[in-house]
Amino acid sequence: MNRTLTILVWLVAFASLAMLPQLLTIKYYLHLSILALIWVIMAQGQNLIQGYTGYVSIVGAGFMGIGAYSSTLLGIHFHLPTWATIAMAPLVTALFALATGYPSLRVKGHYFAIVTLAFNLIIVIVLINYKELTNGETGISNIPKLWGGSRDAYFYLVLVLAACLTLLAALIARSRVGEILLAIRQNEDLVGSIGIAAWKYKLFAFVVSAMYAGLAGALYAHFQGFINPEIFGVAQSLDAILAVILGGSGTIAGPVIGAFLVVFLPELLRFADSFRLILYGLILVLATIFMPIGIVGVCKAAIRRLSRKDIRSDA
Amino acid sequence: MFNRVKTGALAALAMALATTSAFAAEKKLTIGVADALTGGGAVYGLPQANAVRMAADEINAAGGIKVGSDTYKIDVIAYDDKANPTEATNAVRKLIDRDGVKYILGFCCSGSTSAVASFIGNEKAVMLVGNAAERSITTKKIPNLVRTRPPADFTGQAAGTFIARKGQKRIAVIGALDVGFYAQYVDSVERELKKVGSEIIAREVFTLRDRDMTPQLTKIRALNPDAILVVGYVESAAFVYRQAVELGMNIPRYGFTSGSEEQFLRVTTSAQMEGVWDLRPTELDLLSASKNGIAYHANYTKRYNATPSPSSPYAYDQLYVLKAAIEVAGTVDDTVAVARAIRALAIPPQVVMQYLPVDGKMFDVNGQAYTTNGAFQWQKGKWVFVEDLPSDAKAYSQFLSTLN
Repeated sequence: MNRTLTILVWLVAFASLAMLPQLLTIKYYLHLSILALIWVIMAQGQNLIQGYTGYVSIVGAGFMGIGAYSSTLLGIHFHLPTWATIAMAPLVTALFALATGYPSLRVKGHYFAIVTLAFNLIIVIVLINYKELTNGETGISNIPKLWGGSRDAYFYLVLVLAACLTLLAALIARSRVGEILLAIRQNEDLVGSIGIAAWKYKLFAFVVSAMYAGLAGALYAHFQGFINPEIFGVAQSLDAILAVILGGSGTIAGPVIGAFLVVFLPELLRFADSFRLILYGLILVLATIFMPIGIVGVCKAAIRRLSRKDIRSDA
Repeated sequence: MFNRVKTGALAALAMALATTSAFAAEKKLTIGVADALTGGGAVYGLPQANAVRMAADEINAAGGIKVGSDTYKIDVIAYDDKANPTEATNAVRKLIDRDGVKYILGFCCSGSTSAVASFIGNEKAVMLVGNAAERSITTKKIPNLVRTRPPADFTGQAAGTFIARKGQKRIAVIGALDVGFYAQYVDSVERELKKVGSEIIAREVFTLRDRDMTPQLTKIRALNPDAILVVGYVESAAFVYRQAVELGMNIPRYGFTSGSEEQFLRVTTSAQMEGVWDLRPTELDLLSASKNGIAYHANYTKRYNATPSPSSPYAYDQLYVLKAAIEVAGTVDDTVAVARAIRALAIPPQVVMQYLPVDGKMFDVNGQAYTTNGAFQWQKGKWVFVEDLPSDAKAYSQFLSTLN
């Protein structure tokens, strides 16, 4: 696909999404769309460390929790306006990511995944036990909402943020930094051998990924109005990983598609009652086995095949 | 000839009108249930959903809900919330936004219930909470929310008095203390123990998914306590009781679980359970049950081929409360009027649990109902109701009103 066509597809997608509040008469779907857009932000961040750098991080939901709690608590204790606390949440998350990223990135592969998994567990344990601050497992209710809780307005806020952060992820991926991240994924030793300090780039990807998650967490908290530690457990981190794999790892469109899938699919399967989770699991297993390159990868391969056929038939 | 045609036409018209008015009078009222139908919370959520379905069928068979000249037959839609806050929010949004439901029942678990409670005040809907025991659910003064189960610390206070009376001085606690309402229960117990010079010497924690509690029990055994107190979901608690016996801990075992015999016997044996106390709201138990309770037990067992969990009538009662309130309010559309009618309601005669009225009403100003508390003991394969635990609903209600 040439660049103009790609931009056109993105613009059409954005315009279609922007029309959703007018088109959707049943607001439940708007509710899910807002959650999906929050997950787009989360998945784009996850894609930077997982898809581009090749490091599978299992702490995404933990960072989402840090963002959610920091925005909520800054609002409660310092009476800051909600928009300001949402803006500060990724910065607070970045501090935690710097502290955890440095030791985590000293190891590679499965070891990195396990270390980040442990960090996610630690974050949840702290959220549960530091009751004086977080109210423990009971959670925090009545978190202030923007615009009196208007879902339409919030949808546009999240849509614009998701679009901007997707654009930012694309810019990073196309920049020299993005190329180095890809090179690290392909052969980290080779990157080191030509004098590039790979750890700096890995830390950059890890921290930026955490900032995306922190912002997603803050947006989640002020949308739902309630948070407790359970929401930010390892299961949610795995959902972020799945969103990237399902959509297409190392692509910009992949996390967008994957995020909508992980939010909408379990809801669409509600008709199956208690078999819902079995069905959901089965779909995920089959998709991972038969579409390891994700939906975007499959579509790209199909387009390539079609264009080759066209060239042959023209000849 | 003309007269015969005219008579025939009039008869047909009359029949058509009669049929139309019959159709107009019988309407459908869709009730939503949001509960844990899968996962760890399903031991409470699934029986609650079953109980609502059973109550709906009973009400329909008895003629439905009468509102003026209309009769409403109840239709139940149940969605799984996996006891997860996000899932619960999605399920309730679906019920309200897509299915047009105004009355939502169920809610067995505290985290998911708190998530829904945080926005239900802005909705034209009424939320009836069942087994979720977290105290803060009814401290927010949400006008369209009521709860049939008393908060955990209301029961904890009565349980503490009971344990103190038994004379044990050093109690070790093992439980899901990360969960707010279990911690509140233990805090209340501790306050009562302190009054008689007894104390809690250990607070060992397990998570709701843990199955091997021998490390915590070994540590407790080394402290040589006079008794243990177990607080947690049925399955986890059953493992604790079993493993305590396997470790040779021959001391009194108290608990706060609300599990049925069938649920416990999936994990442990009757011999390992012998003598265990469950200090909980006087929920469904054949020895303590009213006529309604006995009938409920029999009907549920027949219908689902399983015995009901002791806490399942909280949800069953919700539907009878709703029926009574709608009939008093004379409307199904005005949720504000129905919510107000619920708060003013005396205890309906069909309910199963033994509620303690506050100022003659089933729910206090906080929207909270109270049941009596009881001491149950496992004797020869069954929970046996031993005695009532003195509980002052009015005093607790006043205390609850001071919180926010």
